Amino acid sequence: MFVASPDRRDVDAPPPGPSPRRSLDRERDLASLAVLAERTRPVSSSQTRLLPVVPPLADLLPDGGLRRGSTVVVTGLAGGGPEGSGGGISVALALLAAASGTGSWCALVGLPGLGAVAAHDLGIDLARSAVVPRPGAAWAEVTAVLIEGVDLVMLCPPFPPRPAMARRLVARARERRSVLVVVPGRAGWPEHPDLHLGVSDMRWDGAGTGEGYLSGRRMTVTATGRRSAARPRHRHLWLPSATGAVAEDATGTGTAG
Amino acid sequence: MDRLLVVRCPDLLDEDEDGTALRSFVEVVDAVEAYCPWITAVRPGLCSLPARGPARYFGGEDALIRSIVGATSDITPVEVGVADGLFAAVLAARRGLVVPPGGTPDFLAPLPVGILGNPGLAELLARLGIRTLGDFAALPASHVLGRFGADGVTCHRVAGGRSGELAELRQPLARRRVDEQRGGGRPGGAPRRATVVDEPGFWGGVGDTDVRAGRSLAAVQDLLGPDGVVTARLQGGRGPAQRARFVTWNAREPQEDSTLGAPWPGQIPPPAPVVVHPTPLRAELVDARGEPVRVSGRCLLATAPGRLSVEEAPWAEVTAWAGPWPSDERWWSRSRRKSARMQAVAGAEAYLLLVERGRWWVEATYG
Repeated sequence: MFVASPDRRDVDAPPPGPSPRRSLDRERDLASLAVLAERTRPVSSSQTRLLPVVPPLADLLPDGGLRRGSTVVVTGLAGGGPEGSGGGISVALALLAAASGTGSWCALVGLPGLGAVAAHDLGIDLARSAVVPRPGAAWAEVTAVLIEGVDLVMLCPPFPPRPAMARRLVARARERRSVLVVVPGRAGWPEHPDLHLGVSDMRWDGAGTGEGYLSGRRMTVTATGRRSAARPRHRHLWLPSATGAVAEDATGTGTAG
Repeated sequence: MDRLLVVRCPDLLDEDEDGTALRSFVEVVDAVEAYCPWITAVRPGLCSLPARGPARYFGGEDALIRSIVGATSDITPVEVGVADGLFAAVLAARRGLVVPPGGTPDFLAPLPVGILGNPGLAELLARLGIRTLGDFAALPASHVLGRFGADGVTCHRVAGGRSGELAELRQPLARRRVDEQRGGGRPGGAPRRATVVDEPGFWGGVGDTDVRAGRSLAAVQDLLGPDGVVTARLQGGRGPAQRARFVTWNAREPQEDSTLGAPWPGQIPPPAPVVVHPTPLRAELVDARGEPVRVSGRCLLATAPGRLSVEEAPWAEVTAWAGPWPSDERWWSRSRRKSARMQAVAGAEAYLLLVERGRWWVEATYG
C-alpha cells in the first residue's frame, strides 16, 4: 500500500498495550488506515506510477515494479566477451517483459543483433517493440526522441557517453515518465542510476563435455539503488530457464533477501 | 505519400445531441463508399479515400469529384479536395481545390504555421521569425528535433509535405460511432480496411500509447532513414538467424504477431540466444595443447576444446560444451559446404558456434 508518510503518522496506532481502551483505539486506527490506504492508492498503478515486472525480478525492485521516470542500469558479469554482455542483456530484456506484455511499447537502441526468439520467450511483445540496431553517432538523440513516446527504452550505448549527455537522458526520462534501461557494456555509464542491477555467480546448465544442450542459466542478481533501495537485495534466478523465460532458482535461496 | 480525396461536410462537423448530424454523415459515407470501398471516416463530418484508383476508373479526379458531389448533394452540402497526404487534402477540401500531384509542398508553403494546430509550437516559431509552413519546412530536420522534440519533427514533416498525418486530424471515436449507427457490423459485407484501431487496451488508453510511440519512431526514421527502425517477426527456421526476420518499422502496417507451430527438425532446443550476430564473428577454438579443434566428417570432435577467442579477444577457458551437430545450412555463404553447430561456455559467456571447413565462427551469444 502506498501511504504517504505524514498521513501515516496521523493515523498510526499508538504503541500496543494491554489495556482494552488501547486495543479499541488500535482497531479504529487500523480501520482508518485501511480507508486512507484505499484513498491514496493510485487508481491504476500500472499506468500512473509503476510498470509491471515479472515476479522473480519484481522482488528486487523497491516498489515491486519499474517506476516511471526512473533509470535502471544493468551490468552483466565482468569479463563478458567483446560482443556479449555477461547476462546484462538477458536481465534487461526480462525487466521489460511484463510491461511489454501489458501494452507498453519498447524500443531497443544499439542492439544490432537482437535475438528475437529469446526476447519473445522472455515475454516481450515483438509487435509493440521497435529496434534501432545501429543508431551510430546519433544514439543519444535517438534515445531522447524515443523517451518522449515510448514507455520503455533499452539502451546499449555504442560509444562511451559523456556525463552531460547521460544526465540529459536521465532528466528526459524523468520528465517524460518513461523508463530508461541502460546496458552500458564496455562503454560505461557515468551517472548514478536510480537502480542498479548486477549479475554474479552465473552458471550454465545442461552442457558437459559434448553431451546435452544448454538448458538454462542460474545467476544471482543484486539490486542497489538510492533511498529505499539503498540496502542491496539479491535474488537467485534461472535466466533463461529451460523454456527461455525467467524463474526463481529455489535451490539457491540461502542468501535471498 | 498517398494521394487522398477528402469530403468535408461543413454542416456536420459538430455533433448535435440527437445525433442527426452523425446520421447524415453516415449517409454521406455510404454514398461515397459506392465510389471506393476504402473510405475512412477521419472525424465527424470528414472522410477520406485514396484518390488514385477511383480517379482512374471514373475518368479523372475532376470527374470523380463531380460524381461524389452529385451523389451527396441531396444529403448535405459538401466540399471536396484532393492532395498528397491527409493534412493537405483536408485544407484543399476547405478551399475546394485539387492540388496537382507533387504540388503539395508549394500549396502548403504560404500557409501560416498556426494551421498545424499546435499553439505552443506556433508561438515558438513566431518568436524565431518563422511564420509560414514553407519557412518551417526549410529548417534542417536535426535542428527541429533538438529544439522542438518529436512532436516538432512530426509537424515539420507535415509542413514540408513529407507526411500527412497529424494526430489531431483524426478523431477515431467517430469511426466507432459510425459503425454503431450502422447497427454494428455489416453481415456479408466486405471487411473494412482497419485504418484506426480504437480499441482501448488492457489498462485503457493504449490506443493513445500507440500514437505516441508511432510519432517517436517516425521521428527516428527521419533521422536515420526508414531502415533505421526495424521490428522483428518470428518465423519457422532451424538456426537462430532464420527464426526471426527484421522488417522496416511502419506505422501504417498492422503489427501482427505471427504464430509458429510447425516443428523444425534440427532446431536447437530453447533457451534461444539473446544476441544473434548479423554477420558471424570470427572465432578460434583450440584444444589443451593449443592446436585448432577439428570436426570430422561424421561430426565428431577430434580433440576436446580447451580455449576460445572471439574476434581476437583474449583467450577464455571453455568450461562446458554441447554438440557438435551437423548443420547443412549455409546461411551466409553461397557455396554448399558442410558445417556443424556447437554450444560452448567460455568465460562469462555462452556461444553458439558454427564450424565450416575447419574455421570457427560465433553465430549467436547467449548474453
